[in-house]
Amino acid sequence: MGPDGAPGQAVPWRKVLWERQSFPDNYVDQRFLEELRRNEGIRHYRYWAVVKEAGFVGQQLSCVAIFITFWLYMEQGLLAPQALLWSSLLCALLGYGLHRALTSGGQPCGEPRTRLADLQSAAIFLSFTFGFSPVLKTLTESVSTDTVYAMSAVMLLAHLLSFPYSQPSPPGSLSLNAALFASVCLASRLPGALHTFAMLSCALLVFALWPCLLQRMRDNAPGHFPGVCVGVCVGGVAGLGSQTLGGAVLLSSALVSVTLLCPLLLVWLQRHKDNIQGPWDEAEIHEDLSRFLH
Amino acid sequence: MGQRRRTAALKSPSSQRDSGDAAWVPNKKHNICMVSDFFYPNMGGVESHIYQLSQCLIEKGHKVVIATHAYGRRKGVRYLTNGLKVYYLPLQVMYNQSTATTCFHSLPLLRCVFVRERITVVHAHSSFSAMAHDALFHAKTMGLNTVFTDHSLFGFADVSSVLTNKLLTVSLCDTNHIVCVSYTSKENTVLRAALNPEIVSVIPNAVDPTDFTPDPTQRQHDRITIVVISRLVYRKGIDLLGGIIPELCLKYPDLHFLIGGEGPKRIVLEEVREKYQLHERVRLLGALEHKDVRGVLVQGHIFLNTSLTEAFCMAIVEGASCGLQVVSTRVGGIPEVLPEDLITLCEPTVRSLCAGLESVIAQQRSGSVPSPATIHSRVRNLYTWKNVAERTERVYDRVAGEGVLPLDRRLRRLRAHCGPVAGSIFAFVAVLDFLFLLLLQWLVPDHLMDVAVDATGPRGLWSQEKSCKSRFYSKSATKGAAGASSQ
Repeated sequence: MGPDGAPGQAVPWRKVLWERQSFPDNYVDQRFLEELRRNEGIRHYRYWAVVKEAGFVGQQLSCVAIFITFWLYMEQGLLAPQALLWSSLLCALLGYGLHRALTSGGQPCGEPRTRLADLQSAAIFLSFTFGFSPVLKTLTESVSTDTVYAMSAVMLLAHLLSFPYSQPSPPGSLSLNAALFASVCLASRLPGALHTFAMLSCALLVFALWPCLLQRMRDNAPGHFPGVCVGVCVGGVAGLGSQTLGGAVLLSSALVSVTLLCPLLLVWLQRHKDNIQGPWDEAEIHEDLSRFLH
Repeated sequence: MGQRRRTAALKSPSSQRDSGDAAWVPNKKHNICMVSDFFYPNMGGVESHIYQLSQCLIEKGHKVVIATHAYGRRKGVRYLTNGLKVYYLPLQVMYNQSTATTCFHSLPLLRCVFVRERITVVHAHSSFSAMAHDALFHAKTMGLNTVFTDHSLFGFADVSSVLTNKLLTVSLCDTNHIVCVSYTSKENTVLRAALNPEIVSVIPNAVDPTDFTPDPTQRQHDRITIVVISRLVYRKGIDLLGGIIPELCLKYPDLHFLIGGEGPKRIVLEEVREKYQLHERVRLLGALEHKDVRGVLVQGHIFLNTSLTEAFCMAIVEGASCGLQVVSTRVGGIPEVLPEDLITLCEPTVRSLCAGLESVIAQQRSGSVPSPATIHSRVRNLYTWKNVAERTERVYDRVAGEGVLPLDRRLRRLRAHCGPVAGSIFAFVAVLDFLFLLLLQWLVPDHLMDVAVDATGPRGLWSQEKSCKSRFYSKSATKGAAGASSQ
């Protein structure tokens, strides 16, 4: 019990409290911390698998670049709104078909939305945007252009930061709203109401519908997914390069660091991982206990 | 860094096992100040630990005062049984009854207490209490010996525990001695604060056996009753209980559950009761006062504990002391608490707990379990407050023989032990604290402060003029007061 008791070696120490043992209270046995476990059940990342996952981040970055490219072209009058609208419509139809094909090819969903419902929501959205585009056009007239640019930049950054990369379908409400806010800001600086309408439809396509299609592709056609990501990235860099060379260089260095360097850092830092587990950890409930309630 | 130190310390276990002996000063009387945010009117393990330990130390002739923060209108100085003085200091409560900490604002008040009461040892309780850490910090600045008791277990995995563990490292790196309530808790604290295990003692909690005596006549013999007494929160595994109840109730029609306690997980149990129509067989008693616990325990045959983490489980000792068969999860320090034949340990899963309960029910049916009186007589002497006080006294004796680090060595130790960033920051804070102390000593010098009247202990003023007021408090305020004072 106390340190003055003579501990006979014949009586080994036991890790129990109920027995009065002839060891001092601050006695440290050989078995101290023997139940300590390190890095148990740890997930070892492989470089290329991480690169593949990081590709999603890279392509989202490029999506923003593509959107900005369209806006630059529209602002300078190099791209007619009609052309953007028609090509958007074409892309939307192609993407819709692809989405359908991938859905039916994969697991059957519980209650698939009918084509009529899809058409209905598209019609509602387009008519409202079209009706309100003169209003949106003049919305930020009293705000200085610098403020609008700064606001759009912050909002696009917020979109990138809050984007739910692991489960992008449906896109998170914060990221989608930030992106749409930024596109309204940018679109209101364009010359005409039709421009605004075309820009907003394009924003919807890029920020709301494209992530859904890409998620489907990642789940149901994983072989084609990296190719698509690389394609989007190349498109983003090329598009931005045709307008500003500096922007293209910045974008490509950002893409390289996000998709190649950051995974390298993650894999390299793994060896420094030191996770301690032991009997003091809170037990986790792994069973599904909701079956008792529902 | 801490890791390496840890392993280095492990290589030479118990090399200086009896090193404390040389510095032993037997029968020395200490002036102890217990500091924690948690005290009456709050109720729980830490609160009763502080109260019971203080009472036993007063019996042994030490002077003990308690410092805590004001609870509502309960502020100022109050006296409990045997003249145990409690300072309810007006400090702002921030979260979960823990005070806000700025490292400085509590120094004037705490210095006042320490100087007026001529404190020699500051004993802080619970790592959740900011006030306890503040008091340790100031006590070291004032050159007082410090002891810390850790009552809880912590993980290492999430961000909040990374931060709190760093703070604990800073707080404990120059504390004289640390007390843990179980060996698992000791391992946990040594790892969290990167301590030398030699300065960590294991002194378990205790239970007053006179409060928890068996009474088999209260049991109903046409049924088997399982008693659960715990706060109804996630950490106590109430979700597991919600799975066990329907599983066993469908199997055994004569099985009843008696559940005491309150908390956010009550809704889970109510839903289960509703869905399986078990209103007569599962009784939820709500929050229980400590004096009512025994009355509930003696109605049962089996005591069930489903905790997911526990440093030292007092509830299972109380259950066993009332003569119940104990079934518990094998987590934290629980396997150390009771001998194997008095407890059935299970994994924290519904299946394992059900299997454990079924085997105990079968034994109960066949009558092969020992009688409640036999169990009580085995448990009654395992954990007593007297023993806890004796062992804590040894810690104080040991600490009194040690020096407190002077400021320069304390700063060096902080920077060497807590890492370059946190160490430097807290070394700076320690210097500021020291300067603040100098300012206070200049404003109100120590020798001008009145010395408080020593009322406690058998030779104190209190025993000469027993006041009715203190007796009133002891009845209403504290549990087991009669047992402690009659020893």
